[in-house]
Amino acid sequence: MSRKKPSEPRALTSGTAERLAAIVEAAERAAAQVIDDAEEQARRRLEEANSHANRIAAERLREIADELDPPAEGRPASHLRPVEHAGGEEKRPQRRSSAAGARILATQMAVSGSSREEIEQRLRSGFDIGDTSEILDAILGPED
Amino acid sequence: MNLTDLQALEERYLMRTYRRAPVEFVRGEGALLWDAEGREYLDFLGGISVCSVGHCNPVVVEAVREQAGRLMHASNLFYTEPMVRLAERLAESSLGGRVFFANSGTEANECAIKIARKHAHRRGIEAPEIVSFDGDFHGRTYGALAATPRLAADPDLGPMLPGFRSAPFDDAAALRGAVGERTAAVLIEPIQGESGIYPLSDETLLAAREACDEVGALLILDEIQAGMGRTGSLWAYEQTPVRPDVLTSAKALGGGMPIGACVTTPEAGEVLEPGDHGSTFAGGPVACAAALAVLEIVDDPALLRRVRELGAVLRDGLLALDGVREVRGRGLMLGVGLGDGIDAAAVGTELLENGLVVNVPEPGTLRLLPPLTVEADQVDRAVGAIGSALLSYETA
Repeated sequence: MSRKKPSEPRALTSGTAERLAAIVEAAERAAAQVIDDAEEQARRRLEEANSHANRIAAERLREIADELDPPAEGRPASHLRPVEHAGGEEKRPQRRSSAAGARILATQMAVSGSSREEIEQRLRSGFDIGDTSEILDAILGPED
Repeated sequence: MNLTDLQALEERYLMRTYRRAPVEFVRGEGALLWDAEGREYLDFLGGISVCSVGHCNPVVVEAVREQAGRLMHASNLFYTEPMVRLAERLAESSLGGRVFFANSGTEANECAIKIARKHAHRRGIEAPEIVSFDGDFHGRTYGALAATPRLAADPDLGPMLPGFRSAPFDDAAALRGAVGERTAAVLIEPIQGESGIYPLSDETLLAAREACDEVGALLILDEIQAGMGRTGSLWAYEQTPVRPDVLTSAKALGGGMPIGACVTTPEAGEVLEPGDHGSTFAGGPVACAAALAVLEIVDDPALLRRVRELGAVLRDGLLALDGVREVRGRGLMLGVGLGDGIDAAAVGTELLENGLVVNVPEPGTLRLLPPLTVEADQVDRAVGAIGSALLSYETA
């Protein structure tokens, strides 16, 4: 194999190197774009999953509230309703018991990331509940 | 230009609505501030609960810088992505309904008041009323002012907007008595901030929820100071036994950029219609980009757990000091009740002179609202400084 003149290889090498650099740069850009797209897709999926989890949690909260404080006959599920002007004491829905309030508190704290101990402490300070394990087990599952 | 020059210009050109401390801050980083003479301060006021992610948090600074270099304002006649993304994030992290953006807390409450009144009119109430607690602070525009009993009592600012009444603070029975068929909403702070950090009891919050449900009124929680992670959960109501129909947010939401938000349940979000409310600047891309960055930092279980843990450390440290009668509040939103005869204003002044920024919202109380990103050693330093100030005050 004959060697090329010194001037040509330099020019050729220089041009090839530039092309190679351009190709590598383009490849890196494409790879970065793929990574960015993947990260963006992952982020969106994570956000969707979080939103879904929050919706489930909110729905569970409502269910717990309804279980413990069932809507009165004929009362719309939402309290955004026309005023019952003739409503006497007997027509008013039952007041939510403090036990129901304790459950809502515990559920909201659990959803927002509080630990079992934190929830228990808060329940004891805010409500007259001797045994908090029933509420905690119902919301967080039994303690191991 | 030195402090004396600034004070002279203030005296000549600024309305005399504030009593400022004689300090010019020129730089901030994390929980630290520096004045024009290069003196360092530990900031346990956080710009009144605004700088929750610390001064000049690099994530927020970069979000603002990037957005400001791209688009600063377009108006609500058009779409901008930060606004809708922020609305989604706020709604999905709380009540699941809709969001109206404002430029401040008081404006967020104005929106809530409009929702409550229109909702009441739809229920056939001709002269709707909004019930608050004595000591509540909801803002200084006329609607929010009318729901702020202490300020609304100033005859020089009258006549006030009609349709507001108040009940004695944390009096569940009185609140039940104040709520009737004309009630459009109960608008309350879950933890009163401006009056000195006074949390509502669970009993009263439950009474408010129940009273609203009984007459069909809305429960509006003003979380302008207590929300955005301040108490150790993203929203203060998450550590209470109630869920509101509407919540208002501001202060920490923008990390220093002016922004407020009125967030609703899906049902309450259907009340306002096109033309009912609006704002030129609200929901602007820069403020919303800042708020998204703040939420990225604050809506983090690890950070929120740390707020609860550091809050407990701060509380215990304060309670161990001579001269501290009680510590009220939750997380890193604490009111320090000083012993009888201790001049809180004098203590506050001494603390400032010694490099700790706090606030004295009422006689006998220090208010502490440090950044949520405050370091453990900074908490220790603050406790030490307060202890020293109380010691010197008592022995003086």
